[in-house]
Amino acid sequence: MGLSLTNVDVVYAGVIQVLRSVSIEVPDGSMVVLLGSNGAGKTTTLKAISGLLKAELGEVTAGQVLLDGKDIRNADAATVFRQGVVQVLEGRKVLEHLTVEQNLMVGAHLRADRGAVKADLDRVFGYFPRLPDLLHRTAGYLSGGEMQMLLVSRALMARPRILVLDEPSMGLAPILVEQLFETIGRIRREEGLTILMVEQNARAAVRQCDYGYIMEAGRIVLHGTREQLENNQDVKEFYLGFSGSEGRERFRNIKHYRRRKRWLG
Amino acid sequence: MLPTGIHFESYAAETRVLKTRRSQVWLAILVAALLVAPFFAGAYLTGIASEMFITLMAVYGLYITVGMAGQINIAQSAFVGVGAFAAAKLSGYGVPVFLVIPLAAFCTGCVSVLFALPASRVKGLYLALTTLAAQAMFPIVIYALPPGWLGGLAGMPVEPLTVFGLDLGSPARLYYFTLAIVAVLTVSVFRIQHSRFGRAMIAVRDNDVAAEVMGIPVFKVKVMSFFVGSLFAGIAGACMAYVLQFVTASSFTLFASVWYLGMLIVGGLHSPLGAILGVLFITIVQESLHKVANTLMQLGAGGGGTLFALTSIILGGCILIALIFEPRGLAHRWAVLRKAFQIWPFPRS
Repeated sequence: MGLSLTNVDVVYAGVIQVLRSVSIEVPDGSMVVLLGSNGAGKTTTLKAISGLLKAELGEVTAGQVLLDGKDIRNADAATVFRQGVVQVLEGRKVLEHLTVEQNLMVGAHLRADRGAVKADLDRVFGYFPRLPDLLHRTAGYLSGGEMQMLLVSRALMARPRILVLDEPSMGLAPILVEQLFETIGRIRREEGLTILMVEQNARAAVRQCDYGYIMEAGRIVLHGTREQLENNQDVKEFYLGFSGSEGRERFRNIKHYRRRKRWLG
Repeated sequence: MLPTGIHFESYAAETRVLKTRRSQVWLAILVAALLVAPFFAGAYLTGIASEMFITLMAVYGLYITVGMAGQINIAQSAFVGVGAFAAAKLSGYGVPVFLVIPLAAFCTGCVSVLFALPASRVKGLYLALTTLAAQAMFPIVIYALPPGWLGGLAGMPVEPLTVFGLDLGSPARLYYFTLAIVAVLTVSVFRIQHSRFGRAMIAVRDNDVAAEVMGIPVFKVKVMSFFVGSLFAGIAGACMAYVLQFVTASSFTLFASVWYLGMLIVGGLHSPLGAILGVLFITIVQESLHKVANTLMQLGAGGGGTLFALTSIILGGCILIALIFEPRGLAHRWAVLRKAFQIWPFPRS
């Protein structure tokens, strides 16, 4: 079970085709990462899942988006959310006029079980011990790393089954990125959470994942398990940013190499 | 944020509006002062105060729609009008006041939902235009209906206000009547701000996409914000009907709507205190100008009449100055001042 996309096409405004026959499997309890250059269609893929395409006049025109075998193609965001798929948007979308605590409570907006919400606050603080100190700070004044912690925590407050993360490392210092991914890995192991993550920071992301997909110009061009990705020469070259023992390739060589790889377009 | 040394050990204490002992004492003093004020102020000032309370009710409503949910609304005066006409009609049937006010509020809420349903689908300037349509339609509808229904061009008289056989016609009694209602509304507006619904509205205002992915039904929250905001407008309208004892569509103009919005912005959009300070500020400036103009005229000195005519211009200037020096509103200035006193004599930024 879990989440699966089969041959999904997404078209914006009826004319711009962004995804072409994208298929992704996110089995229950796994962590899947989606890599790719800018404009490859990663965020669009996430939006196709979480039902946010409509706001941008986008639409899934072909294929299936299945959640536990049920088609949620073109469902609205509220419905998808209620099924337990919670997305953390790209770009630190905290509710800046609310305090950190109120932000967390917004995450639990639909939950009626007050006692459990309180317990969940403690659970979340266990993952991000910095948050309790910031509880009464206005979220707009947090630093980038703190905002990202808050966003992941806010999503956890909704008790998701599937957590969808869109570039959680955006604009963070390398050390923070490492910490954040470690925490995400820990959350996943301890909660048995299913995670689908889009990342630019490929190396750190691949280290935590079970399976990865690489997108280019709206298609999935490569996929494989963590070991396969870590050992694939192309992936190393273009996404992990190193090429084995002989050090970095010269730009000229890479350019030629890239040309030979037809899938990179 | 509170100064060092004040901390809480429970969530309930944290979300309380009056966090410290001292602020409770100050509030008690304020309430006492408001209660004894009519004994010291003349009938004129008492009347002004009642009028101010009514304006405050309408601005509270605007604070919920515009301040909390971020839905620009320039039809608040029309909604106040709906409340006023509903109250006039109901009181004409002999309905007692404690039923008239909630019913008028409810009518206003329902009318506002009619406009909120289409308005909540659009954003920003388009939303402003939609509410403008509501404001423009209000007098047209009143005039177009048969005069027997809502008075048409001539307007409608309102039965004098009586509560349990007690006539509340005098300025002092009206003052207590409006004070009681505004007190209830003040408590509610602060409660709403700290409630789940309030949080949802602020989330929608801050970032509607983020709110949506957190499961907040954005559309419903927007419509509800109009509804609740208009309940307040309806109550203001009902009180106004009782105070003026006459309603006519021409008193609920776009101009008044813009004034309500102006008061809220000058006071500060992000706190109910902003509504209070904004209404207080504008009323004080306006009344002082009238007072000065009156005195000048009585003394026979020139300029009194000119000053009267210039009132709006001077008020506009005051608003401009307030916004240039404190774009976040008087409520923010108040918060900064308060903090400065709290940590006195330590240095402050």
